[in-house]
Amino acid sequence: MEEKIISGMNGVAWYGIISICIFVAFFTGMLIWAFSKKASYLNKMGSLPLDSGETAANEKSNAEKL
Amino acid sequence: MSIETFKYDNRIVRAFAIATVIWGIVGMLVGLLAAVELFFPGANLNLQFITFGRIRPLHTNAVIFAFVGNGMFMGIYYSLQRLCKARMFSDFLSWFNFWGWQAIIVSAALTLPLGFTTSKEYAELEWPIKIAIAVVWVAFAVNLFGTIVKRREKHMYVAIWFFISTVVTITVLHVVNSMTMPASFLKSYSMYAGVQDALVQWWYGHNAVAFFLTTPYLGLMYYFLPKAANRPIFSYRLSIIHFWALVFIYIWAGPHHLLYTALPDWAQSLGMVFSLMLIAPSWGGMLNGLLTLRGAWDKVRQDPMLKFMVAAVTAYGMATLEGPLLSIKTVNSLSHYSDWTIAHVHVGALGWNGFLTFSMLYYLFPRLYRTPLWSTKLANYHFWISMLGLIFYVLPIYVAGITEGLMWKEFTPDGFLKYPNFLETIVHVVRMFELRAVGGTLYFAGLFLMAYNLYRTAKAGQFEPDTEAQAPALEKAPAVHGKLAFHRMLEGRPMFFTVLAILAILVGGLVEIIPMYLVKANVPTISSVKPYTPLEVLGRDIYIREGCLGCHSQMIRPFRSETERYGEYSKAGEYVYDHPFLWGSERKGPDLAREGGKYPDAWHYNHMDDPRSTSPGSIMPRYSWLLTQKLDREALPARIAALRRVGVPYPAGFENGPAQKEMEAQAAKVVANLKQGSITGNPDKEIVALIAYLQRLGTDIKSAPVASTAQ
Repeated sequence: MEEKIISGMNGVAWYGIISICIFVAFFTGMLIWAFSKKASYLNKMGSLPLDSGETAANEKSNAEKL
Repeated sequence: MSIETFKYDNRIVRAFAIATVIWGIVGMLVGLLAAVELFFPGANLNLQFITFGRIRPLHTNAVIFAFVGNGMFMGIYYSLQRLCKARMFSDFLSWFNFWGWQAIIVSAALTLPLGFTTSKEYAELEWPIKIAIAVVWVAFAVNLFGTIVKRREKHMYVAIWFFISTVVTITVLHVVNSMTMPASFLKSYSMYAGVQDALVQWWYGHNAVAFFLTTPYLGLMYYFLPKAANRPIFSYRLSIIHFWALVFIYIWAGPHHLLYTALPDWAQSLGMVFSLMLIAPSWGGMLNGLLTLRGAWDKVRQDPMLKFMVAAVTAYGMATLEGPLLSIKTVNSLSHYSDWTIAHVHVGALGWNGFLTFSMLYYLFPRLYRTPLWSTKLANYHFWISMLGLIFYVLPIYVAGITEGLMWKEFTPDGFLKYPNFLETIVHVVRMFELRAVGGTLYFAGLFLMAYNLYRTAKAGQFEPDTEAQAPALEKAPAVHGKLAFHRMLEGRPMFFTVLAILAILVGGLVEIIPMYLVKANVPTISSVKPYTPLEVLGRDIYIREGCLGCHSQMIRPFRSETERYGEYSKAGEYVYDHPFLWGSERKGPDLAREGGKYPDAWHYNHMDDPRSTSPGSIMPRYSWLLTQKLDREALPARIAALRRVGVPYPAGFENGPAQKEMEAQAAKVVANLKQGSITGNPDKEIVALIAYLQRLGTDIKSAPVASTAQ
């Protein structure tokens, strides 16, 4: 029964082919992009959460209390 | 470069934090009651409002949208401000988001026990509430994007990417799955029917898990874990790959909820393959989290907050390995409809979401109140009692699930089902249900330890409503060209980034959705399948109201073990008038797809009055109110009209006279049948409509020549 449903769809074979093409293209692009990033940039980005922007006095008193 | 001074809004974070704790207690208490009802069916005290079928959706909604939802907002409102170095875009929108969300939760807590439900899992709320959800969600989205736009930090940290993907994807999912035709203020019918409805629903259900329970919490992990460990994430590059791979692949995997059903085979295989691929990004993320703690494991010993975080990330890793494995068709043939799935989701819910939420709460309260945590020791007790609770919850349920699956499939050497009576398989695992409730109680007890600890912390400290912060204003970057420009555009322009993220999720969505719309025209019609009669429509609505699909599936898979037990396997064409589809996702009782004609009407009458009178040992609750409550016949015209509007071919004017006549004739017939079983039935009562519906189930193709050979 399933075969009937699939073969009844016009051009359903293309879904698989299009899917794999999009998939490969997307991942190739993404990996190239990710690996083209410089270490300095990655370090900077990675440390973003550590700087909360809280005023120095504020942060210091907080740290002492905790 | 001018330094600007501004204030982070802590009030909204505190409000969401308190709501998280309160709804966590409520949601898990309801879960505990549901767990007890599974081995002690009288625990509902014969009250219809707290029967298992009605509180199961209340439990899932409360835990997902109230507990985790508030936890998500809490974490996002705290971290987003600090990552953007800006106060939230609008205080009004923040509070609109908060009170709107609480109002939605309260309306869910009222309507679900009252039986107002669409029956679509994790999307049970009726249409006016769905509209309210959309409005509140849009307010949240505007607030989030507004904050990102006015940020003082040029770069968008990966956590913000996860938040953006959450906002846009949930919007798409909610709108597509909520397409419904109102019949009255709190009753509607899905625009989609049968196979199509099932595909849309599980495309939604799967991705709601992905983009409500996973992506926002991953964003929060990427913020709070480095904060707690006081070191950057192990690999930022890996986090980029984690993000894009996850949002791209996740959306394709939805059909793994419908393996071996009447769903087209190619869609099932697509769902399975993409589910397996999901292991890679998920484990990348988990390892990225755990490796952040390299060289800092001593901190984990001391800090209960980090203990919870590590356990949460580990649970994420286990759940995301198990999920893909359960998507393998062979494994799924054993696990599906069994308690294995329940164990799986609780590793995710109790472990990943629960522990991460606790971790954030332990991190935030001391900072919001500027005082150390009241008792680290108590928090450690909380950790261990929760961990024991989690283990005692999931282990018995894994055993129960696998046992059920194996018993359902077991044949004698002579080729007969070894356990032909479904009840035998449930009676066999009831002890496991009891143990599960013990685990749930332990986990629940831990919540109180935390609530008390946080309360004492708050009392000891002084709440800081606004935290002062300073940052240079974001200056407009000088113009650049070429490759660098693309990078800058991607990180610097949230809208461009958002468009890319939407494209990533839509590609997967469209590949599924386009065939889904084509499917409707391609489901082979079966000429003997006819729309439900008026009495059956009302009976079906009672079936939906009582949440029968929480325990009974209506989908016989094409296995010999199922066709032997239940009859001919289900065909896609049998569901073309099912608005909504009622395939269900677990079996605490037998499948009902071919229930029609199996037992006399009187059996159903007695069984609903007291299931144990006909089926000794049954764990089904009594539905004695169906015997006394008057059937709402006035609702019929609006419901027939609504069903016609979504495509059910009732003739014009059918609801103005002919439908009522047909209903009365059928009710009289049921009453006559009851009389044969020495029962004096009343045609005005709800039970009559429900019996009419149950006796119809699966009978359409029994009369057709194709099915007669199989029966």
